[in-house]
Amino acid sequence: MSGLLDKFLSNGEGSASRNFLVSALLWSLFGMGAGVFASMEFYNPDLVHNIPQFSMPHLRMFHVNAVTIGWLSMGYIGSMFHMVPTLCKNRLFSERLGNFTMWAWNLLMIGAFCTLLNGNTEGREYAELGAVLDVMAAIALCTVTFNVLMTVAHRRTKKLYVSLWYFLGSLFWFPLVYIIGQRTFVFLPGLNDAIIGWFYGHNILGMWFTTVGVGIMYYLIPRYTQAPLYSHGLSMLGFWGIALFYAPTGTHHILQSPVPEWLKAIAVISSIFLLVPVLTVLTNFFMTMKGKWGQGADDLPLRFAMTSALFYLMTCLQGPFQATRWINWYIHFTQWVVGHAHAALLGAFSFILTSAVYYALPRLTGREWHSQGLIRGHYWLKFIGFLIMYFSLTVAGLVQSAGWAMGIAVDQWANQLYPYWFVRAISGIMIVTGQAMFCYNAYRSLYSPRPVDVTAKTREVKV
Amino acid sequence: MNGYGYRLGAIGIISTFFIIIFSTVLMPMVLFRPDPTVTRNDYQAEAKVGDPTRGRRVYIREGCFYCHTQFTRLQDREYGPLVKAGDYVYETPHQLGTARTGPDLTNEGGKYPSEWQKAHLIQPRSVKPGSIMPSFSYLSDKDMNDLVCYLQTLGNKRTATQTAYVEAPAEYLNSTALGFALHERKHVDTNADASANAGRGLYTQNCASCHGLEARGNGPNSISLTKKPANFTRPFYKQYSDEMWYYRTSEGVPGTRMPRWELNLTEEERWYIVAYLKTLPKDVEATVDSIDQIDPIEQIRLPKLTKQQYEPHSGGSE
Repeated sequence: MSGLLDKFLSNGEGSASRNFLVSALLWSLFGMGAGVFASMEFYNPDLVHNIPQFSMPHLRMFHVNAVTIGWLSMGYIGSMFHMVPTLCKNRLFSERLGNFTMWAWNLLMIGAFCTLLNGNTEGREYAELGAVLDVMAAIALCTVTFNVLMTVAHRRTKKLYVSLWYFLGSLFWFPLVYIIGQRTFVFLPGLNDAIIGWFYGHNILGMWFTTVGVGIMYYLIPRYTQAPLYSHGLSMLGFWGIALFYAPTGTHHILQSPVPEWLKAIAVISSIFLLVPVLTVLTNFFMTMKGKWGQGADDLPLRFAMTSALFYLMTCLQGPFQATRWINWYIHFTQWVVGHAHAALLGAFSFILTSAVYYALPRLTGREWHSQGLIRGHYWLKFIGFLIMYFSLTVAGLVQSAGWAMGIAVDQWANQLYPYWFVRAISGIMIVTGQAMFCYNAYRSLYSPRPVDVTAKTREVKV
Repeated sequence: MNGYGYRLGAIGIISTFFIIIFSTVLMPMVLFRPDPTVTRNDYQAEAKVGDPTRGRRVYIREGCFYCHTQFTRLQDREYGPLVKAGDYVYETPHQLGTARTGPDLTNEGGKYPSEWQKAHLIQPRSVKPGSIMPSFSYLSDKDMNDLVCYLQTLGNKRTATQTAYVEAPAEYLNSTALGFALHERKHVDTNADASANAGRGLYTQNCASCHGLEARGNGPNSISLTKKPANFTRPFYKQYSDEMWYYRTSEGVPGTRMPRWELNLTEEERWYIVAYLKTLPKDVEATVDSIDQIDPIEQIRLPKLTKQQYEPHSGGSE
């Protein structure tokens, strides 16, 4: 019995983190695969016929959920389970609880796979999961929060590093945002439903992906460059800025619908004010990187982190720009916004998570990466693939917005988008190939019967 | 920083978050409670044929809202009137949508026959060549009928099938509380010569720069406008009711440079302009120089209006 318990709910140090990261890699293949499948159906709508599970909308909802809840969230939790104990010079409060959460989360993802592809959805964007899965996700999130909070409470350091601020803030905010945002058990009149829906839809990015991702950047960049953080004061300013300005921005997604004007005004103004924390955070990173940019040539995980920071800058300059009424008037409803969403989740946060996995897995398992060439290939495929995808979607969005603004009927310009759909599908294949190389690399590193590499980097802080 | 600082930080995080929850989640729920408008959708229009409520669930299940939106914006043409807050009272979960890969469906009901809708669901490219909508041929017959029923209820109360096409929106009509209050406040006799005379001055100041002194849509500004200003002497405008004129003057014309005059002019001034606009001649009408030449029996014959005439830029999608 205890053998089984140790096998499935291991108490080994770092096992929860490792298992979370490996599961994240697995679900990333499903999520990105569904995405590229859906993108091919944009180019060839009769690609599959009469199979509801492969219908474009079903693939799309599974794509979004597998990539956000599966790949990014699981990877984030795995990274936190590695980074928080390191920063506290401590062990994770309970590896067993962590592994339990890992199983619950995987079960949740299996449930999402089984339901979403059949269209069993709540019909709320980013909150598609059904009632049972919502409850599971909420419980799993609260368990993670408890685990991390207890780890921090038992820390052996006096100061809390800024990454911990970000992690703790996110873990406090996000379960609440998730619970409020699901609206599973409440029936609000349409526009109130939309207001709360976009409060959630934007804050799953703002209070979870951004804040944890920035926390990981704060952890990784000084580690890679062996340089102290440029300014602790700036990092605090960035943290409070994000806490203050991110949460009320959700209504900018429905800026032209008949919701109250004061709410739109709050959303637009706080969207513009978001430039403050973003530029603060990035100034801090870039000053920390000062004189060390050359290291990215050799250090591949650092290169992922640098790319992530640059894409983060790009995304966050674009965001306030298109949240203003004048630009939103033109851009809304088009693929431009889809490009922006991919810039945030794929360009900025998927890259930083990839960097974190490349950093953490050797330290968790004591095994070096199987192949540096595969990492290189992964980087270039994902980098170039992302750029192609971003620009094809942005240009397609401009074609569409011209169509809407000039009042030309959809059938007259929809055919003009075929080249962009085609290029987008190609870029999707590149990205999925890169991710598959990543997963294969991880598989070979972790499971091939090789003697443990004694020179591999281990955790900095041994308990 | 000492331990007290962390406690302060934690209090800061928590209180900031709750202030924001309060202002952007709770306050709208308390302050923003629109009354249902007459143009709301309660999915009962086609209830005899199928089950639109169930059709709505099929709409959600098949993820239609990822590509089709359900709200019209000020600048949208050919998708019918601008939506009002009260139109969405019965929409849970909301289907406003985020991206328009396909057309907006706010006022889809009645645009196409149900057979067309069904054929379009089974094989979109058979009825709309070049469409990239996926085929939903795997839906059962019941699912598809209910979905078509739902589509036919969309905006049904807002389309031409039930009312004259150039009728003002409900809140301008005497039949609703808002419209009743509007008419209660109105003290301008829009049929009186004095009102028309007052309106002429306002027209010259505000409207003539685009619509021209003779209201033929040829004012000096019209040269630079892509969408030319309306020529009020066209027979089309002779069927406008007072409320319709008032509505257009107040809310402007989406997609054109016609402004929302309710921002600049008082209600009284807008009614005066309405009184003036009603006196404009028909373009084919001969000018008469004596009251005896007018044939009192002659009636204005209204043309049978199609959507193309109403929205000249609809692109002939039908």
